Amino acid sequence: MKAAIIYTSVTGNTSTLAELIHERMESRGMETDLIPIHEFRPGQLSQYDIIAVGTYTWDNGELPLEMEDLYEAFETEDVKHVTTGVFGTGDSFFAHYCGAVDLFRDMLFAQTSLAVTLKVELTPQQTDLDRCDKFCDRLTRELILV
Amino acid sequence: MSQMDQPLSKIKLLNPTYPNKSTGIINGESSGLLNWNDIAYPQMYDLYQTLLANFWKAQEINMQDDIKQWEYLTETEKDVFLRINTQLASLDSLQTPTMTEVMDYVTDSSFKAIFAVISQQEAVHNESYSYILSSLVPLREQNERFDQAKEDPIVRKRNQLILDRYEAFRQHPSPQRLFELAVNSINLEGIYFYAGFAFFYHLARQQKMVKTSSMISYIQRDEMQHAYFVSQFVRILLTENPELNTEENINYVYQTVDKAVQLEKEWADYILKDIDGIDLEEFHGYVEYLANKRFRQLGLDNYYPARENPMQWIQVFSDEMMNETKSDFFEQKSRTYTKVSSSNGFDEL
Repeated sequence: MKAAIIYTSVTGNTSTLAELIHERMESRGMETDLIPIHEFRPGQLSQYDIIAVGTYTWDNGELPLEMEDLYEAFETEDVKHVTTGVFGTGDSFFAHYCGAVDLFRDMLFAQTSLAVTLKVELTPQQTDLDRCDKFCDRLTRELILV
Repeated sequence: MSQMDQPLSKIKLLNPTYPNKSTGIINGESSGLLNWNDIAYPQMYDLYQTLLANFWKAQEINMQDDIKQWEYLTETEKDVFLRINTQLASLDSLQTPTMTEVMDYVTDSSFKAIFAVISQQEAVHNESYSYILSSLVPLREQNERFDQAKEDPIVRKRNQLILDRYEAFRQHPSPQRLFELAVNSINLEGIYFYAGFAFFYHLARQQKMVKTSSMISYIQRDEMQHAYFVSQFVRILLTENPELNTEENINYVYQTVDKAVQLEKEWADYILKDIDGIDLEEFHGYVEYLANKRFRQLGLDNYYPARENPMQWIQVFSDEMMNETKSDFFEQKSRTYTKVSSSNGFDEL
């Protein structure tokens, strides 16, 4: 049983969130690789049982450039069996709040077994910790039941 | 005297022996030449592109509808409209020269370029207020309104918080004062505009003065990017200069933004008191919500109780009203994923 968190961050908000989720996955006994996007290489996705994708959102709700290869990897690799989640940070003043999370959500729903999505406004606060717990619970739930 | 209080020296225009990629945003070694492909913080190129993509000018917006409608506003609405207009114009007037002032002391050429673009956009905002005024009232009244803004004790009091730190930097440009200037710039761009924005959006939701509101919405979009950039600038400044990253300075951020919040509430209570339909208590909550966002942009904790946006209608118009720029990624290959939601069996947190 193996999990990965693949993420990108500019301001540090999404990487903080990625680390919070990583701690919680490990504390649930799930061995989890924490992979910044520049260390990601295509062809690795199918070896994982769980993958969480973390992304900020650029401009008009767009996908950051550096996440495009990962997005395409999910479309081309054998990932039907992978349980996935997507999380991100954003600013709700923009018309498409965390738009990149939504873009990943729709694709992951079609290509994988999407379990959960999580949006956090800017730097994660105390109240977001519970939501990180729920995110990890949901990601690991089905696998633990099996 | 700490090194952070030592004056920053103006960097020479060209320093051929130094690298193009600056070794620091202040006090760095930098040739002065800018190659966007070789910069210390590559994300700044994205930000620069976004700022340019937001380009607009006042003359693109036809004021005919608003000119017709002006006659139907109540006297109170007209009075508040003109006072807010000139007050916002005076804030933007400060910001244009301050951004170029900062430019002289920042050593990273990519940051210089972004400050130049921001300064240009503030000049456009300034002009747009003049453009609105010229459509609605004669020059004599415009000048009276500017005098009113200069003399108003509440306007002066709130401007003073910002002006003190801007002037202090001009007199003695040290790293510490640059930090204080940046925090106050976030106050100006990220807090001080919003009582004014609330008024114009409030008119717009009654279908009044919609063209003016379009302009306000472009201004808000720019200001959001500026406040975001300046918060990134502060985070990088503190990271590169750990002597600035002190508990005292973090407290300074909380205290100074809190002062701006109190002044913005006071201004709103005064300028919006006779406007029906804007709940001032709710607006106080809105300003705190806004300030929490600024703290989080700076990587800090909420200072006020966490709450949802109590005035959702104070928001940049959706991009359908603007020139939408689509990324190539989703255009070059047809992707037809259906929009899904939690009703499809996953959880949305």
